[in-house]
Amino acid sequence: MNLNVLAWRNLWRHKRRTLITASSIAFGVLLAVTFTGAGDYFYTRMIDAGANMGMGHITLAAPDFNRAPSSKKYLRQSEQLQQKLAQLSEVKSSMARIQGQAMFASAHKSIGGMFFAVDPEQESAENNLFIKAMVEGEMPTTASDKTIVLGVDLARKLKLTMGKKVVYTTTDKQGEIVSAIARVGGLFQTGSKEIDGAVALLPLHSVQTVLGYQQDEVSVIAVILHDQRHSHQLRDMLKRMNSFSHTEVLNWQQTQPDLAGMIAVDKSSNYISQLLIAMLVAAGVLNTMLMSVLERKREFGVMMALGLSPQRLFLLVMLESFWLAVLGLIIGTVVTIPWYLFMSQTGIDMSAAYGDGFSFGGVLLDTVFKIRLFKESIVAILIGLFTLALCAGAYPAWRAGREPPVQSLKTI
Amino acid sequence: MEQTIVELKHLSKIYQQGELELKAVNNVSLTIRKGDFAALCGPSGSGKTSILNLIGALDEPTSGEVYLDKIELASLTRSELAEVRKNRIGFVFQSYNLIPVMTAYENAAFVLELQGVDKQEQQQRVMQTLSDVGLAGLEHRRPDEMSGGQQQRVAIARAIVTKPAIVLADEPTANVDSHTAEALLDLMQSLNEQQGITFLFSTHDQHVIDRAKRIIQVHDGKIAGDEYRTDD
Repeated sequence: MNLNVLAWRNLWRHKRRTLITASSIAFGVLLAVTFTGAGDYFYTRMIDAGANMGMGHITLAAPDFNRAPSSKKYLRQSEQLQQKLAQLSEVKSSMARIQGQAMFASAHKSIGGMFFAVDPEQESAENNLFIKAMVEGEMPTTASDKTIVLGVDLARKLKLTMGKKVVYTTTDKQGEIVSAIARVGGLFQTGSKEIDGAVALLPLHSVQTVLGYQQDEVSVIAVILHDQRHSHQLRDMLKRMNSFSHTEVLNWQQTQPDLAGMIAVDKSSNYISQLLIAMLVAAGVLNTMLMSVLERKREFGVMMALGLSPQRLFLLVMLESFWLAVLGLIIGTVVTIPWYLFMSQTGIDMSAAYGDGFSFGGVLLDTVFKIRLFKESIVAILIGLFTLALCAGAYPAWRAGREPPVQSLKTI
Repeated sequence: MEQTIVELKHLSKIYQQGELELKAVNNVSLTIRKGDFAALCGPSGSGKTSILNLIGALDEPTSGEVYLDKIELASLTRSELAEVRKNRIGFVFQSYNLIPVMTAYENAAFVLELQGVDKQEQQQRVMQTLSDVGLAGLEHRRPDEMSGGQQQRVAIARAIVTKPAIVLADEPTANVDSHTAEALLDLMQSLNEQQGITFLFSTHDQHVIDRAKRIIQVHDGKIAGDEYRTDD
């Protein structure tokens, strides 16, 4: 009988104990999938939502624009830059935008806020949160329209309704104060008071004319990626390309440091939770294996007397841990798959607790709690728990092989 | 001249119990020859099992030398000692000590498996040995499905299946009734006589002492007497 078979049979000497320990590993899989899946889902949602709020996963801007935004700092040849970006497989879309501060005035009131000038042909609900949040009217049909889309709270404060005029005042590329008139063509409601009360969307070409920009001059190009996790590598790659040598290339962590910071803090607490779960699982395995070793001390003495080397005895106990881990992971996978499918497709609606949406790190999120695992997270969970179970079995295995046979044989 | 299997030279084993020193084996010199059917006799605590453990490479002497098949055991590492036990010694214990998750066949084949003997040869040798010890047909039974006597026969089969230089049997009849003890002794005696297997017992059972061809008396860790019996 080889050691593998012997280890497997030894595992079933105490069926209940083995099943309880395997269940604790399985429960560890379930919890790890839930915690990691929630992280993978929410962080991606937050990062994507943040990217869709204006700056993309990657932002191309004039040097120093991100630190001190000004109409004086702008990108040239934006169309050529966008063509270069379109050739990269990681890039899903890119949008040329002008971003700036403005004073919005109606017949009743003036309020300071910010605007995004966008080209309607490049924008969609998929890459622009404000379009997705439209509640009335529609986006300008062309970049030369004279319409404006306002946040509902900004419109309310200005006492504006659809079709009414609004004057926006800003500074042009020379630093001179300029104004223009637009009619309210639509309203959006993201759910965030800060955004809905201060942001407006304008057509790109109209704003370029007002600011004195050429048609290929913009303040930023927002780049949306297929997978936000590639933002770091792509930023570094773009920085090395000659085409972008006169451009400041930033990833979302740099353009949205608050969001990046909050995610980092949240991830840390998530890791601590997972570490605690891992320690509980490890304690269960350690306890089982240690008990199993101590109660078979005499048997191990006999095996060593028969010629089993300390190394092979160590291997035998490690194989028992191995099979226990495999069993736990199989049970865990079987139990977790239906849970994961439910949570990734349907999720749990938390709107009773949070309302229609909630803001995290300045980013709006929906209230359905879902999970989603990246492939590498699945691999990390399985390998992590497996390694943990093996490590927990290492001490009992070492202890089993360390005892001189004569001592073990004296054990009753 | 008969071949020497075991040679003990000025062997001592001292156990420390708190501040007390217990001399379990005290300057013992002894030779076991091939084909011996010898019994270490003496009262409980006289040092019989300690001597057996030292010969069996299960314990380390405080001083002195143990030679097994001319190999000096003190110079060996733990792994090398395991090799010696695996290839040169067969053990029979008082309480059988079979591995409970293995069948009679698997218990007997365990050491062959450790030796790396191929499956076909394993099967041939195990089946023959089980038959020799009177367990033909019971090879698929687990220890808890067998009587004490049958379990001890499996233990004997496990000890002899590798054709060891010596079989060390520690009180092999202590846990069985006298009828079974006689049967086990018949078996070991016939293995000794027909196959030339060397047996060294530690015992205070009169059944064993009566059958042994050589009686080695142990008292207070010392050899108090050593005599070969003649058949008359």
